[in-house]
Amino acid sequence: MSLDMYEILEIPDSSERELQDLFHEKGWGDGLPMIAPTRDRVEEMLSASQDLDLDEVIASLPPRNGVATRRIIAVNAVMAGCRPEHFPVLVSAIRALSAPEMNLRGVNATTHCVAPLLIVHGKAARDGNYNSGLGAFGPGNLANATTGRAVRLTLLHVAGATPGIGDASTQGSPAKYSYCVAENLDSSPWGGYARTVGIDDESAVTVHCGEAPHNVHDMESSEPSAILDKVASAMTSWGQNNAPISQGEYFIALCPEHAATCAAHGWSRSDIASYLFNKAMVNVGDARKAFELRAWAPWQHALEDTDNMSMTEKAGNIRIFVTGGAGKHSCVIPSWGMTKSVTVPVLP
Amino acid sequence: MEIYAPTGNTGEPQNSLASPIPVLNGLSLGILDNTKPNARVLLDRLADRLVERVGLTLALAETKNAALAAPNQVLESLSKEVQVVLTASAD
Repeated sequence: MSLDMYEILEIPDSSERELQDLFHEKGWGDGLPMIAPTRDRVEEMLSASQDLDLDEVIASLPPRNGVATRRIIAVNAVMAGCRPEHFPVLVSAIRALSAPEMNLRGVNATTHCVAPLLIVHGKAARDGNYNSGLGAFGPGNLANATTGRAVRLTLLHVAGATPGIGDASTQGSPAKYSYCVAENLDSSPWGGYARTVGIDDESAVTVHCGEAPHNVHDMESSEPSAILDKVASAMTSWGQNNAPISQGEYFIALCPEHAATCAAHGWSRSDIASYLFNKAMVNVGDARKAFELRAWAPWQHALEDTDNMSMTEKAGNIRIFVTGGAGKHSCVIPSWGMTKSVTVPVLP
Repeated sequence: MEIYAPTGNTGEPQNSLASPIPVLNGLSLGILDNTKPNARVLLDRLADRLVERVGLTLALAETKNAALAAPNQVLESLSKEVQVVLTASAD
């Protein structure tokens, strides 16, 4: 263990107000009060990682090219209010963020309002008391709120995604404070999402860099197609970043009741994705009029103006998972566009 | 009270800036258009001025997606064909 590589500040005992002022003066934080990352608190956060190399580089985070070791991630976890049991999910999410296909440099630096959504799967979600039920996207759950916030603090402090410096987002986003949800495995008729992307571990986390949720309200339908037509409608709005970018992914967060309706009629995840691929269509000529810049698959450029095409180039870009509690609201989470989601096992 | 700074260290830069070119006269010029709206308008006008006033020769114009690094093929082409590249434009 080498503490020489970390900056440790000696600060006078002070009031909570003075402490928060000090953080602010140093340019740290998301605007909300933070917990002081004292040596004792950071050690406690790392208590389950003592057999591991605490200075191992988990990720190098652009645009600052900041070095995210377990210890520096733990510092940010303390500041966000995380508990030690949440730390492996956080470390794994940071690992996922550094995957090349995530394109974190673009995610952090763009003018778009993208934020990394964490979806916690399996045992880690249960053991960490992540909320996958009523109000899963928040507020009110410590695990969801603080893990999502710790990701943001790590991006602000280590990656340098400071608004106006490393983050050019025109309007920002409330999702940039904290954006973490758990998969409702008990209410998923199709098993866990992670297995659909080849992760069989008992705990996993998916990171999807996307927009804030677009609501899908359907109280009346008893047929999957009627519910999914509304999902398709939410997928085809021109304002989202996926509209001119055909490689973009859509995460469809179905509430348990919408999922149950689909499953009761024998629809699988891939049935839903295929249906949405064929329903979330726009006119090619309208798309050409709407966007001067189009990042389309080569075959899409050959389409006639009178043709229709799906909002994404393949059904596999439409990802289905279940979250939430009672009620009939699902949501669509379009991506930033030039990014791919990553699912990794939860490892300490 | 002792606290950690939450920023940590930075790694080695993956790239460094090229050395400034002291004299532009007679060099070949390339454009790397990031395809943001109006980028090409700005880059073309700058190129015109440089050709007119400094004697550069416009030899190659390439494009890239604004959200991604330029493909290696584009960078290799520019590095072979030109000595000066104009690039970068925001929205």
